[in-house]
Amino acid sequence: MNRRQLLAITVASLAMCLWLGVAVAQQAAPAAAPVAEAAKAVDAAKPVEAAKAVEGAPKASKLADAIAKAPRGVEPGMIDETKPAGFLGIPGAPSVNPILAFCWAVWVGWIFSTVGAFGGVMAGVGHMSVFGFGSYAGGLKKTAPDLGKIVTDSIKASNQFLVGTSAAISSFNYLKMKRLVLPLAISLGLGSLLGAYGAAALSAGKLDFKSYQGYFGLFVLVLGCWLFYETTPAGQAKKKTAKEAARAFEDAVKKQRCGEAVDECKLGLQINKFTASTCEFTFYGVPFHFNPLIPFLGGIVISAVAAFLGVGGGFLLVPFLTSVTQLPMYLAAGTSALAVLVSMITSIITLMSKGTPIEWSLIGLELVGITVGSIVGPMTSKYLSDALMKRIFIVLSLYIGTGYLLAGFYGIKIPGV
Amino acid sequence: MTPFQALDAILITPFQLPGPPEAGFLFGVSVLALASAVLGWACKALVARAHRTRRQREEGEAAKRSDLSLQALKAKDKKAYLAQNHLAQEAYGNTLALSAGRAAALLWPACAILTWLSWRFDGVPMPFLWKSAGPLAFFLPVYVAALWGISRLMRNEKRQ
Repeated sequence: MNRRQLLAITVASLAMCLWLGVAVAQQAAPAAAPVAEAAKAVDAAKPVEAAKAVEGAPKASKLADAIAKAPRGVEPGMIDETKPAGFLGIPGAPSVNPILAFCWAVWVGWIFSTVGAFGGVMAGVGHMSVFGFGSYAGGLKKTAPDLGKIVTDSIKASNQFLVGTSAAISSFNYLKMKRLVLPLAISLGLGSLLGAYGAAALSAGKLDFKSYQGYFGLFVLVLGCWLFYETTPAGQAKKKTAKEAARAFEDAVKKQRCGEAVDECKLGLQINKFTASTCEFTFYGVPFHFNPLIPFLGGIVISAVAAFLGVGGGFLLVPFLTSVTQLPMYLAAGTSALAVLVSMITSIITLMSKGTPIEWSLIGLELVGITVGSIVGPMTSKYLSDALMKRIFIVLSLYIGTGYLLAGFYGIKIPGV
Repeated sequence: MTPFQALDAILITPFQLPGPPEAGFLFGVSVLALASAVLGWACKALVARAHRTRRQREEGEAAKRSDLSLQALKAKDKKAYLAQNHLAQEAYGNTLALSAGRAAALLWPACAILTWLSWRFDGVPMPFLWKSAGPLAFFLPVYVAALWGISRLMRNEKRQ
């Protein structure tokens, strides 16, 4: 540990001690402390109890209005005021067992660090099925549709926050490296802005849970089919060809003894033409071209899906960019990072302005679980075969996708979903 | 005193600044945003340490494939370039998934603080803002600025 780190830890420790000292002093002499209006909850009028966090009425007026409009009673789809407040502070709503939420989040984190992007899907499954929010929101469709839509929006926002922010933060590193093609970044960024805003604004307060479940199921089914295709001989053939070409070149490079790292500042990227319909550029004299409308439209679709379902986003943009534009991977990562960031900021601002309620305590607990799961994942991955894990998740995604699709759009329930 | 009450007493301390209540609120939110950014960075560093071997492998693979793709371009071998680039992009996908854990470690203190703020200031009108604004409107910009500041400090540290 060097002097700077030691100094930082010392300063942080001293600040913490000072903070604790002042807190203890204030507790010892509360009458002497000034009563700040913004901190008026300290007053005896608002007792400090853990139970208050769930017993208090939900703050957001949209939610309060929807609860007021919902019918009272003990039947499904009704507000039972005799029961304690659950999700979002709604009386009678399911209250997630914190241990269950934590364990499921550990599972999600484990998947992220072993299999990959499927973790986002599992996070969504947790919110919709495992914690019971989905069936609760679905039950409100006929009796309290406004409340059902608000609960659906909250589930959507929770998925997005959990998965989308992770991608945004990790993409930020690539953005800082300034590895991006500016005209393409602008095209993709504009598309992402439109997609994220459109999906959030057009669906907030309008989508019932069953429809959301159906679309989520469709996405998961498509993902499962894609993963399955990659295991077929046809899917493997393309990968095999790419690997053979890569190996052949690698051998040639080794023979020539020119395996030193390439300085990407001298990338040789030259944009020759950029119009609404064509972008022509060269890398080291090799010509490439693409239609800028395609990244723009792709940005709209991918960001809309990410904002709408809470999955995808960063995981989809880079493969899309590399296949459409054939940019080098690091440039595609840096360029898409801007789009991911724009999409995330747009979604958060839209979320805040629409007043969608979010259960921050659940999100916080889930993030802790994901942290733990992602630490455990690399430790266990050496004992598990990658191919076996992929097959298990293909089966899971096909089953879950089909189940959600049937339940959401056709009202047909299959066991376990 | 229960643990929750003790935690509440600690968290409310920065808000009880002498002077205008708005100043106390802004100071309190700023202190909590800074503290959650620092704690988040510390947790992220712990997770990064736990992931080190796996991350080095995946990032190394992505870097190697990317370098080879650029060398293929230099050699005017488009087929080899596309092949290496495809493999680089696959390795990048693995690093992205791995970084979800670090991102979660970075963000959980902010969520915990937001939970407390939402409960503590339930029904309290936010100063200088619109009616439906909540503590998030103040917390988020300070938190993002704190994260940025810490990342700059870390970057300068690495350069030295």
